[in-house]
Amino acid sequence: MLYRTAGQFKTSYKADQALFPVRQDAILLGVILAFAWVIFPFTASEFAFQTMLIPVLIYALAALGLNILTGYAGQLSLGTGAFMGVGAYACYKMVTLFPWMNPVVAILLSGFFSAGVGVAFGIPSLRIKGFYLAIATLAAQFFLTWLFEKWAWLYNYNASGAIQVPNIQMFGIYVTGPQADSIVQYFLVLGIVTVMTLLCINLTRGTLGRTWKATRDMDIAAELIGINLMTSKLTAFAISSYVVGVAGALYVFMWKGAAEPNVFYIQLSFQVLFIAIIGGLGSILGNFLGAILIVGLPVVLNLVPGALGIPISSAMVEHLNTMIIGALIVFFLIVEPHGLARLWALIREKLIIWPFPH
Amino acid sequence: MLRDIFITPFVDMVEAPDFLMQVLWEGLVSGVLYALIALGFVLIFRSSRILNFAQGIMVVFAALTLVGLHAMGLPAWIAVAATLAVMFVLAVTIERVVLRPLVGQPDIILFMATIGITLFLIGLGETIFGGENKVMITGELGIPTGDTVLEPFGGLLILQHLDITVVLVAVALVGALLAFLNYTRMGRAIRALGDDHQAALSVGISLQTIWVLVWFIAGIIALVTGIAWGARAGVSFALEVIAYKALPVLMLGGLESITGAIVGGLMIGVLEKIFEIYWGQPLLGGNTEAWFAFVLALIVLLFRPQGLFGERIIERV
Amino acid sequence: MNHFTKLVAAAVLAGATGGAAVAQELFVPNLAYRTGPFAATGIPIMNGQADYFTMLNQRDGGIGGVPVNAEECETGYSTEKGVECYEKLKGEALVTQPWSTGITLQVLPKTNVDEIPIYGPGYGFSPMADGTTFKWAYNTPSGYWDAADMIVQYIEGQEGDLEGKKFAFLHLDHPFGKEPLPVLEQLAEEKGFELVPIPVGLNEMQNQSAQWLQIRRERPDYVIMWGWGAMNAGAITEAVKTKFPMENFIGVWWAGHDADLNLVGEEGAGYKSISWSFPNMDAPVMQDIKEYVVDEGLSQTNPEEMEGVFYGRGVVISAILGEAIRVAQDEYDTAEITPAQLRWGFENLDFSEERIAELGLDGMVPPFQTSCENHTGHSGGWMLEWDGEQFVKASDLLRPNVESYSDLIDSSAAEYAESNAPWPNNEECAATN
Repeated sequence: MLYRTAGQFKTSYKADQALFPVRQDAILLGVILAFAWVIFPFTASEFAFQTMLIPVLIYALAALGLNILTGYAGQLSLGTGAFMGVGAYACYKMVTLFPWMNPVVAILLSGFFSAGVGVAFGIPSLRIKGFYLAIATLAAQFFLTWLFEKWAWLYNYNASGAIQVPNIQMFGIYVTGPQADSIVQYFLVLGIVTVMTLLCINLTRGTLGRTWKATRDMDIAAELIGINLMTSKLTAFAISSYVVGVAGALYVFMWKGAAEPNVFYIQLSFQVLFIAIIGGLGSILGNFLGAILIVGLPVVLNLVPGALGIPISSAMVEHLNTMIIGALIVFFLIVEPHGLARLWALIREKLIIWPFPH
Repeated sequence: MLRDIFITPFVDMVEAPDFLMQVLWEGLVSGVLYALIALGFVLIFRSSRILNFAQGIMVVFAALTLVGLHAMGLPAWIAVAATLAVMFVLAVTIERVVLRPLVGQPDIILFMATIGITLFLIGLGETIFGGENKVMITGELGIPTGDTVLEPFGGLLILQHLDITVVLVAVALVGALLAFLNYTRMGRAIRALGDDHQAALSVGISLQTIWVLVWFIAGIIALVTGIAWGARAGVSFALEVIAYKALPVLMLGGLESITGAIVGGLMIGVLEKIFEIYWGQPLLGGNTEAWFAFVLALIVLLFRPQGLFGERIIERV
Repeated sequence: MNHFTKLVAAAVLAGATGGAAVAQELFVPNLAYRTGPFAATGIPIMNGQADYFTMLNQRDGGIGGVPVNAEECETGYSTEKGVECYEKLKGEALVTQPWSTGITLQVLPKTNVDEIPIYGPGYGFSPMADGTTFKWAYNTPSGYWDAADMIVQYIEGQEGDLEGKKFAFLHLDHPFGKEPLPVLEQLAEEKGFELVPIPVGLNEMQNQSAQWLQIRRERPDYVIMWGWGAMNAGAITEAVKTKFPMENFIGVWWAGHDADLNLVGEEGAGYKSISWSFPNMDAPVMQDIKEYVVDEGLSQTNPEEMEGVFYGRGVVISAILGEAIRVAQDEYDTAEITPAQLRWGFENLDFSEERIAELGLDGMVPPFQTSCENHTGHSGGWMLEWDGEQFVKASDLLRPNVESYSDLIDSSAAEYAESNAPWPNNEECAATN
C-alpha cells in the first residue's frame, strides 16, 4: 500500500529512464539523505562519528570502486588495499610538497595516481581471467605495499616510516589532522561520497556501464558484438582504481590521521571485498548496506556484553567476534548469495504488492 | 649499475659455491613446504572448483590441535590420530554446513565462503587454545633435530636433519597420494570428478562422499605441513600467512595440476631465495620474497594464461 | 580446554569486581592484545599488568582508598581497533596505554586536544622523551634510543674498540623496527663500526631463512635484533640452525621473552637482551601478587609464565602507573584524580632506591626520575642473558649516554611539531628551562 506504483504513469522515455522511476524510491532516498546530512551530524557523538559514520562512508566508497571492477566489469581484484594506499600516499606527497594546495582538490587528484597504477596492473586482465587474474592482482597488492615500506621518498624520509596527516585549513577551518573536528570531516566525506556515488550510478547506467556488463557476462560474446575489450576492461580498471584511490586518501586524511604501510595489507582488500559481496555485486546500494554491516557489526558486538552487563574479558569478545563475523559471512552467502541489495529488492517487491499479494 | 645487476651476482655465486648450495637447499626446503600447501588447494579445486583460502588456517588449526591434545596428556602418536579425527569431523562439518547449501553458486561466492571459514577457525582456535606461541612436539614424534655439516669446496653446508625429514616425508606423502589417486577406486572417483562433474555424477559417484574425502585429505596435508612449519618456528597464528605463499605457486603451476603444484612450489621456493639473496638484498633493500613469487607468476601467466601445467582454457560462446 | 575455563573464570571475576566499583574508581584502561600474531608476547605482559592492580585492590583496597579498574580493550595489535578503543574510552579514561607504535602515532596528535596522557613504557615514539614538545606523552622508564645506546655500550665493553666491526641490525619492517635506526647510524659514524640493516617483513616473520643467509654472507660480529611477536622465535631458531654464536646476538627488551628461548632451550644459551625490568620472584610485590591474586584464583597466569621476564615487566609497568596516580593524589589532595592531574604525577615520578624498596619492587626496575622536560627518565637497564633455562643478569646497571643523542631528540621532536603545526608546546616547561 505504501509502496504502490499503480497510478504513476510514464508518459515519456525520459520519465521511464529517470534515476527513480518510482516516486516512493525518491522519497525514501530523500529521507535517508536528510538523516545523513541533517539529523546524524547533530545527534551523533564523537564515538559514533569515529567508529561508525565516517568509516561506513569511506568503506562504502572503496567497495563502490571495487564493485565497478568486480560487480560490473567482472574482473575479480584482491588488490584494493594497495590501490587505496596509492591514493593515500599520493595525497600525502601532494599536501607536503605543495602546502598551498586545497586538501579536497588533493584528495580528488590523488585518485588519478591510483587510476594510473590500476591501469598498469590491469593490463594482464586482457589475457588472464578468473581466479588467475585475482591472484595476479595480489602481485599488485604485495608489490605496492612493499614499495610503501622501501621507497623512503614516499613518506618524506620519516624515521618511523609512517605518514602523519598535517593540520590543513580550508576557509579558516581545520579539515585534516588532529585539530580538525569530526563533524567537519564527516561533512566533507559525505559530500565527496554523495557526488561520487551519483556519478557512478550514472556511469553504470550509461554506455560504459552496459559495455562493462556485456564484458562481465561473457567477454568473447561481447567482443563479437563489437565491444573493444581492451577499452572496456581498462576503463573499468581506471575508474574503479580512481574511486578506490579517493577512498584511500579519505581513509587516511579524513579518518585515521596517520598510517603505516601495513594498514594497506591484504586484510584491507578482503574487508572491502566482503563489503562488496555481502552488499551485493553489481549494485550501488549494496555497498552502503554491506559497509554498515561489516563496519558496524564488530562495533556493536563489542558494546553488547558491556550493555547487557555480561562479564566477559575483552580478548574473549574479540575471539567470539572473529567467529561470529566468519559465521555470518558464510550465513549471508548461503541465505542470499546476491547480497543485501537483492534482499532489499525482494522486500521492495513484496511491499509493492502488499497487502494484496494476488 | 648494470654491472651490479648482470655480473656481480653471478661472480658471487661462483666465488662462494658452498653458500650458493646452502641457498639452493634452503630454497628447496621452503619450496617443498609451499608445494605441500599448494597441493591442498589443488585437490579441493579439482574436485569442487573451490579456491580454498582456508587451507592456511587449516595448517595452523591442525598443528594447534596436535600440540593442545598432547598438552592434555595424550601420547604423541595417539594425539596425531586424534588430530586426524578432528580434521575428519571438520571436513564433514564444512561439507554439510557450508558447501552443500552453496552448490552451484559462482566461484567467487564459494571463495568468499572459505574466507568466512578462515575467520571462524581463527576465532575458534584462539578461544580454545589461546594465542600463545607453542612449541611443536618434535622430539615426541621422533623427528630428528640435529644437523649434518658438510664441507663442499672447502666451505660450509649445514643440513638440518629436520629439513631432510621434511623433504623425505613430503616425497612419501606425494607418492602415497599419487598412488591413491591412480590405483584406488576412491582416488579414481576424485579424478573423474575433476575431469567432468556431470559425467562422474551420472556413473554413480557420490559428490558428498568425495567432497568429504577431499577435504579430509587436505586436512592430512595440513597436519603434515603444520608439523613441519611448527617444528621450524613454533606454532602460532602468524603461520596463517603462509597460505598466501601457495597462491603464486598455483598460478605458476595451474590450478588443477598436481604436477604443477609440486614443480611450481619447488621453482618458487628456489628462485625467490636466489633472487632475494643475490639481487633483492644488495640492490632493493631486501624483503623481496613478499612479492617476487607473485610477479614471477604474473609474468609466466602473460605467456601461458592457464599456468605451466594447467588445462588449456577453451572458450565457447 | 583448561585455558578456556580459566579465561572465563577470570573474566567473570574481573567483571564482578569491576562492576561493583562503578561508583568510585580509578579507570586506567589497557589497549591489550591477547589475539593476533603478536599475542604470544602480549599475554604475559597483560597478565602482569592486570595482576598488579588486582593485588592493590585486594591488599590495599586500591590506591588512596579508591579501587583501580584496569579494564582491557582488545586491539589484536591492529591500529584500527586501537583507535576505536581510544575513542570509546577517552571519555572516562585517566590514561591511554596504546601498546603499539602504530596506535601511539595515531593517538599522539590527539592528546593535545583530548588532554589524556599517553603512557607507553619502553615503546612508542622515541622523541616523546622531550617533555617540552610532547606535553601529554610518557615513555618511562626507557626509550628505544636508550636501548640502542646501551647495547652498543655493552658491546664496546666486551670488545674494547668498535672500529671496523660489523653489526647486523635485524629488525621488523615496521615503524617499531625502524625506531632505533637514527641513533644506531649516528653511533656507527662516531665509533666507526659498520651497520647492516636487515628488515624482516611482517609476513616473513616465521620464515627468516633469507635474512639469516644474508647474515651468514655478511659475517657480522654482532647481530642486534629489534623483534616482536612471532619474529623473535623465528630469528632465534634460525640463529641456532645457522650456528651463529649466540653470545653475539643481542635483542631489544621486547625480544627477551622466555617462551621464545624455551623453543631452543640449551642451544640458545648466551643470547642476550637489554632490559629495564627483571623478574625477581623474591621481591615483596611478587609475593603479594602470589598471595592475594594467584592463590585466590584471580589471575590468568601460570607459575611458569609468572617467573618470566615479560610478566615481571607487566608488574613494573603497572607499578609505575600506580605510583604516578599516588603522586598526583598527594599533590592535589584528592583520591579521584583527573587525567590532567595524572599528567603531573607522571612528570614528578621519583623512583629512588628507597621508593623502589617501599613499593616492594626490589631489583625489578632501575632507579629513575622524570621531570617536566624529561618524560622518559632514561633509567638504563641490565643486559640479561639466557643461561639455557632462564634469563639472568649479565651486566651491572648500564646507563645510556643521553647527551650523545639529545640533539637528535630535540631535532626530531621539533620536526614532528613542525609537520603537525600548529602544535602547542608545553609552555610551563619552556619557562623553567
